[in-house]
Amino acid sequence: MKKDNPPALLTFQDLILALQQFWAERGCVIAQPYDMPMGAGTFHPATFLRAVGPEPWSAAYVQPCRRPTDGRYGDNPFRLQHYYQFQVVIKPSPEDFQDVYLESLCTIGIDPTVHDIRFVEDNWESPSLGAWGLGWEVWLNGMEITQFTYFQQLGGLECRPVTGEITYGLERLAMYLQDVENIFDIVWTDGPLGRISYRDVYHQNEVEQSRYNFELADIDSLFHAFDLAEHDCQRLIELKLALPAYEQMLVASHTFNLLDARQAMSVSERQRFILRVRDMSKSVAAAYYASREAMGFPMVESAGPPQRGASQR
Amino acid sequence: MSKAADFLVEIGTEELPPKALRNLMNAFAGGLQKALDKARLEHASVSAYASPRRLAVIVASLGFAQADQELVVKGPPVSVAYDAAGKITPAAKAFAKKCGVRPDALERLTSDKGEWLCFRSLERGQKTAELIPGLVQTALQSLPIPRRMRWGEGEAEFVRPVHWILLLHGRNVIEGSVMNVPAGRMTRGHRFHAPGEIEIDEPAKYLSLLKKAHVLADFDVRRKTIVAAVKKAAKEAGGEPVANEALYDEVTALTEWPVPLIGSFDKSFLSLPKEVIVATLASHQRYFPVADKGDNLLPRFITIANLVSKEPDRVRAGNERVIRARLADAAFFWEADKRVNLADRRDALRDVVYQRGLGSIYDKSARVARLAAAVGSQLGVETPAIERAASLAKCDLLTGMVGEFPELQGSMGRYYAAADGEPGAVAEAIGEQYLPRFAGDALPETVAGQALAIADKLDTIAGVLALGKKPSGNRDPFGLRRSALGIVRIIIEQGLDLDFTALVAATIADQPVGDKDEKDLSEGLYDFVTERMRAYYLDGQNSLTTEMFAAVMAKRPVSLLDFDARLKAVAAFVKLEPASSLAAANKRIGNILKQAGVDADISIDQSLITEPAETALFESVVKAQKAIAPLLASRDYTNVLTTLADLRDPVDGFFDHVMVMTDDAALRNNRLALLAELRAMFLNVADVSRLSISQESAH
Repeated sequence: MKKDNPPALLTFQDLILALQQFWAERGCVIAQPYDMPMGAGTFHPATFLRAVGPEPWSAAYVQPCRRPTDGRYGDNPFRLQHYYQFQVVIKPSPEDFQDVYLESLCTIGIDPTVHDIRFVEDNWESPSLGAWGLGWEVWLNGMEITQFTYFQQLGGLECRPVTGEITYGLERLAMYLQDVENIFDIVWTDGPLGRISYRDVYHQNEVEQSRYNFELADIDSLFHAFDLAEHDCQRLIELKLALPAYEQMLVASHTFNLLDARQAMSVSERQRFILRVRDMSKSVAAAYYASREAMGFPMVESAGPPQRGASQR
Repeated sequence: MSKAADFLVEIGTEELPPKALRNLMNAFAGGLQKALDKARLEHASVSAYASPRRLAVIVASLGFAQADQELVVKGPPVSVAYDAAGKITPAAKAFAKKCGVRPDALERLTSDKGEWLCFRSLERGQKTAELIPGLVQTALQSLPIPRRMRWGEGEAEFVRPVHWILLLHGRNVIEGSVMNVPAGRMTRGHRFHAPGEIEIDEPAKYLSLLKKAHVLADFDVRRKTIVAAVKKAAKEAGGEPVANEALYDEVTALTEWPVPLIGSFDKSFLSLPKEVIVATLASHQRYFPVADKGDNLLPRFITIANLVSKEPDRVRAGNERVIRARLADAAFFWEADKRVNLADRRDALRDVVYQRGLGSIYDKSARVARLAAAVGSQLGVETPAIERAASLAKCDLLTGMVGEFPELQGSMGRYYAAADGEPGAVAEAIGEQYLPRFAGDALPETVAGQALAIADKLDTIAGVLALGKKPSGNRDPFGLRRSALGIVRIIIEQGLDLDFTALVAATIADQPVGDKDEKDLSEGLYDFVTERMRAYYLDGQNSLTTEMFAAVMAKRPVSLLDFDARLKAVAAFVKLEPASSLAAANKRIGNILKQAGVDADISIDQSLITEPAETALFESVVKAQKAIAPLLASRDYTNVLTTLADLRDPVDGFFDHVMVMTDDAALRNNRLALLAELRAMFLNVADVSRLSISQESAH
């Protein structure tokens, strides 16, 4: 830690708790991680589906993310196949979204009069979600710590109103705040029951999951699983069950990522699989919109304006 | 009250895209100026400003209102407005009604074409303040923004969300709103140094008030500050900045209050290829690398912070940390990539799609290898090195390093080829294959590199043209124009005498294009590349014109170098005093021959040459033919045309004294044959009849 001004150690879980507290106070629904594998917090229904349609919404949550191709058997100090994002979404995106975000950095000990904080253009596009948005990566002294995006389109639907999304990279922030150079050295907690590191919690998982992702995942079963999920997704959409259909899309998407890690697809095949996932995303988004519309978009009336301090319901 | 005052508009936004900022700034000022002019609002100079959070324009001495304007509405001709008896017709009444006046209020409008009824009225000039919000909106709407966005609940669309609009004319706020944001006189300073609102009382104080609030709003001033600061800091760090203009622009667009910091990294990373370190520092982090006088990198970098930090050491340490991690990553790729030979990666290129319809990258590299070998054998060099280089040229696309730094393709191939023990010529050629990458970039120096660079680009263009995706207007997604210009530059500037037509035919024949007509495609490819040649010359400082180009293009020279020599000869010819009359004569002869339907193969019968002027021309032609034969053989086109310039007097004499289209068929044909011969001599070089040379320019 810095010699001049030793601040109390912010552990990994302190960081999560601080961000949750901060966004809870600003009125966000503190949602919990979704209980299915996904590549990014954007795939959580609290973001993807809630960003569809006219109903106001705001949520904050931690989401474990799985990116099988990023695994490095626990050997690389910066890369993991399983890591955490802290996700905030607010619809409509508030006027002072950037300012509130900067305030959140202050709460976790990042003083913008000390550190060089910059919003650097970085536009987001997810072919498999049929989605794009414009925004920035936020730099802290040259290091990317956050993705900041105004969604323009999701599942092929125009976003009206626009959802603003903030995605904090928790491990990066923790490494910075704790001044460690290796993810596995992050202090997860340091309490009466002892000091526990990220290594203690996740290293074995990285080693074993990397082996699974790169070497052992059964390719034939994965292709089969993809087909099943796609089939089920379509069947459920015909039954107008957008939420279960969405879960099948999540299964297909993660299965695709595993196939990718196993290098089981040629480039053109890979492209076709992405398009298949996108078709599912689009159908789900349309079905979800239709189901909310059939209910008369119930949250349009009941929710207060998502301003700072205004609580939802 | 004065009639004009300075005007200031500022659009306050969230952080704008840095690579586009300068363009946006200039387009906004240009668009606004155009809108003001179109609205007939008088003004003096227009100045553009921009920072990450604002686009602004100051218009000096903008009038407070439009000038009044006389409007004239033209009605029916007088002949229609009154009948034979001089009575007003229904047509004229209808016109008066349309203008909202009685018929007797109409006036007459006379021109050399006739006389009409008309309605004159005086339109009062509108107040500037009423027009401005709409004009600003118009200028913003026509900005070159690839993707506009919406935000919140609004329907307004812009580059990034808009937070404030400042419209100040003199000391007064212009009422109104732009993109649904009401205008005011408030701006904002630096995000962290001056977080509150700042009042601007008049446009003249805009820059100084913002400067107090830690914003240098003038892009050029900020850029100069950065250039100087980087240079000074680099000197302090013991060297010179390794900078490029685009990086200065980008850093200028990322800061409102630039503050230089010197950072360091571990010396051991200097064993990485220089390009890798530069790419890590410059393109990933927007840092300026530092090199010593011998152009060797130092383990230092300059970063421009946007803050006078309370603890600059922490900002420095943070940046150093990032670079440490990035360079460690690069070092990992460098070591890991070297474990697999480039040659062993080649088969995997079969799985990488080059373009739909054009096969895999493997297929492309095989085509390029064949074409590059053809280029090499035309240049009379051994082709094995060229073919080896071509077959390995794309293998670096599969390395981790190029995956991380796509801009290092080619450069990394060279390093990895050298590490694999490939011959130096092979490694160099791989490194040079993408040159020139941009206007003014270096050209390949080795023969194998030239062959590979030409073949790679020609194959790219041929493939896309074969797919029927020729670039149009501003759309050139595959950068074909740049590739064509690259080919032209390599051939001309390196003096490569190639049978370009043969290469074009070969590359077209090698494209997987199904049943398309190869001859059409070849002509299209030749035209596409030579069209760039035109741009190459016309953009240059020399005085070549479109007509000179057309004169040579009529010949469709097989070699671009030959094309070049002819073009230069034509340019020199145009400066000769007899040129204008000879160009005109060529045109005249061309027309005569065309009208007479003369075959190319009629020959001159000397016994039929009778008149003195005819004899003089004949003798001059025979003499000139002898003189130019060796000059043509050595492509000394300039002297060919200089020699032919001597024909001016006999040609003029001939046309003055000899009747070509005489009734005597034998004489007529003989004279036509003489003219055909004369014209053919010029056509040896170019079709000078396409030149229109004014007397002034010929002297």
